[in-house]
Amino acid sequence: MTDDASVVRARAAHVLEADALLTSSTIEERARWLAEAASAVAHKAHDRRDALAEATGLSVPMIEWATRTTLGTITEDAMLALARDTSMEIGRASEPISMLSMVLAGNVFTASVRGIVVPLLFGIPVLVKTSSRETMFPSMLRDALRLADSGLGAAMSLVAFPGGDIECEAALIESAEAVSVYGSDETLAAISSRAPDTRLIAHGHGVSVAYCGASALDDANIGNTIDGVSLDICAYDQRGCLSPQIVYVQETPQCSAADFAARLATEGLGPRSRSLPRGPLPMAVGAAQAQWRGMAEVEGALLRGDTYAVAIREALPIRWSPAYRNVTVAAVRDIDEAIEAMLPIGTNLKCVGANSASISEIETRLGSSAALHAYACAIGSMQTPPLDAPADGYPIWHGLFRA
Amino acid sequence: MTTRAELKARVEALITSFEAGRPFDAAARDELIEDLATWQARRIPEYGRLQRRGVWPPALPTDVFRFRRIAAHPEERDLRTFRSSGTTCSERSVHLYCDLGLYDFAARVAARHMLFPDLDRMRLVILAPHEDEARDSSLEYMLARFAEWFATQCTWVWQRGALDLERLTEQLRSAEASGEPVAVLGTSFAFVHAEDGLGDRRFELPPGSRIMQTGGYKGRSREFDSEVLLTAIGARYGIAAPRIIDEFGATELSSQMYSTTLREELDGSVGPRRLWVPPWVRATPVDPDTLEPVDGDTVGILRIDDTANLDSVCCIQTADLARRLHDGIVVLGRAPGAIPRGCSLAADQALGEQ
Repeated sequence: MTDDASVVRARAAHVLEADALLTSSTIEERARWLAEAASAVAHKAHDRRDALAEATGLSVPMIEWATRTTLGTITEDAMLALARDTSMEIGRASEPISMLSMVLAGNVFTASVRGIVVPLLFGIPVLVKTSSRETMFPSMLRDALRLADSGLGAAMSLVAFPGGDIECEAALIESAEAVSVYGSDETLAAISSRAPDTRLIAHGHGVSVAYCGASALDDANIGNTIDGVSLDICAYDQRGCLSPQIVYVQETPQCSAADFAARLATEGLGPRSRSLPRGPLPMAVGAAQAQWRGMAEVEGALLRGDTYAVAIREALPIRWSPAYRNVTVAAVRDIDEAIEAMLPIGTNLKCVGANSASISEIETRLGSSAALHAYACAIGSMQTPPLDAPADGYPIWHGLFRA
Repeated sequence: MTTRAELKARVEALITSFEAGRPFDAAARDELIEDLATWQARRIPEYGRLQRRGVWPPALPTDVFRFRRIAAHPEERDLRTFRSSGTTCSERSVHLYCDLGLYDFAARVAARHMLFPDLDRMRLVILAPHEDEARDSSLEYMLARFAEWFATQCTWVWQRGALDLERLTEQLRSAEASGEPVAVLGTSFAFVHAEDGLGDRRFELPPGSRIMQTGGYKGRSREFDSEVLLTAIGARYGIAAPRIIDEFGATELSSQMYSTTLREELDGSVGPRRLWVPPWVRATPVDPDTLEPVDGDTVGILRIDDTANLDSVCCIQTADLARRLHDGIVVLGRAPGAIPRGCSLAADQALGEQ
């Protein structure tokens, strides 16, 4: 089902009409409304987990995990805290933009949640173009927003049309003060060229990595480290931009990178493949996977499970995996060497998961790097960013306020 | 200890046996693949590092040819280097030969059986560069050999990086006038460019004529659905569909596969369009997770065990999707997201630069 340009324009007009009601509500009212809607979506997603699994290509347990962990961040307290912090950072005088249009990608189905909830919290109507691959979850969110408050709920609407439809893209953008785009660099370039005067909030192609310092490998911590890293890898079948593709391991006399990889496979990814099974492997990914795995064996070593593989190889050159739980473990001497190995990724690096003892040092290095804009977070939480986590090197409210 | 000479003799015997019309011995082929793999694993460290799974030897991914030297012989014995075309990646697949004997033998016997089974020699028109203009292309090498083996006369209508539409027209009109059958051989790209450039010029090639097209589009120019291109070529050159033959080859392979259509027409049999797999080759769609053969006509990724790959690696894992069909296979093309490459890209690059 696709919409034509006239429908896109009508929906844009409709969400703009709801602006008055939205902006006249208080931040507390909106936080309550959004939290109620998030809770309703969680229930609905549970009821429709099989259909969501079918639509997203993820397993049912993964759907349950993803909706629970994502929607669990949409609480009244978290939203009010975000509003307070934002107000302090940008000043009360800053006005929210009049309307946000959004282009979603289909790789991580819950990625729409923060992107939609945060502007609504700040009183900004949102028109969302869903991914052609996944419309079910955004529809659930829209319905829940309207059910929780029909007046405020009118400030968010969905449209669907094929990417590259110039007329529809123009209609999507023309009423918006900013457009937020999740997608490939090609998608970003295309949208940007169609609306050179509209503010672009870019969420382009991204990858993430993890760093395990020596203390993460000692007897007291290795269990938690393996548990956290394996969760980060398995979440969303490693399809998201926050999914670690490479785990840099600071080897110790007691634990080499190969030892770590073996434990990651047998104690982490193996058990996870039972509790959070991988979804079906698309054939195109399978073709790339066969190439990547073979290359890994040639260049280093490979540990294979039924639905995962761990390559042990040098940190450079980087061989990007096709995701779907194919991860590289690379030995490094220290954080310096790990950061050096990340430099070729540049601004495409979104997040560095790190063990607790290394986070602050990683943050410092990332903060002082001109080439890297990633943020650091704890291993095990890479795929569950809090509501106020930065996005693409910027605060989550970036682009939503007039200067 | 098996020697190279022994292995080469066994491959030659397998091809000779087919050429002589003797019954196909799958067990002998499979045993030869096994022995080749063992011999190659000892000489090519990259291949030796692959882990064996299941009953078959491991298959080397085609990507490895982009990054590593894959040869059982030392560099000083390199005789000929074939490289894949490619624009999206700086590294191109490299296939090194110290001896082209098996390549030539396999290419000649396969083409004789599937492309020229009815005529000893015929007129050839080639929509591809001469090998002197593309020394590192295996396709151009093969076409040059076809000119030697199968041509009464051969005209290369692609010169100095351009498809010469006037020369093509002149050659085809000449064939029409003489009634002498002609074989037009080229890449899919080249046929698309001819479609774009020939306008309303149409031909009625003489009976016995045929067309061989090879290669996909590699994301480099407007793409024709294969059925649409088949129809367009048929209409353009006045050739019936069975006489439009698809060829499947790759830089990493020494043997080629051809569609069964011409052969079936000549034999008076009927079957769906599919690729014939030479009996010295084993082509198998495999499951991407297990790398084991898929059941029935399930789509898998194509593994090709080519015994003519004596001095590199016999067992190759491609990134093409394929399924079995009757006694042959259907290649569904490169999986989206896989690194595009192929013989026909060099041709398109040249055309695109005009």
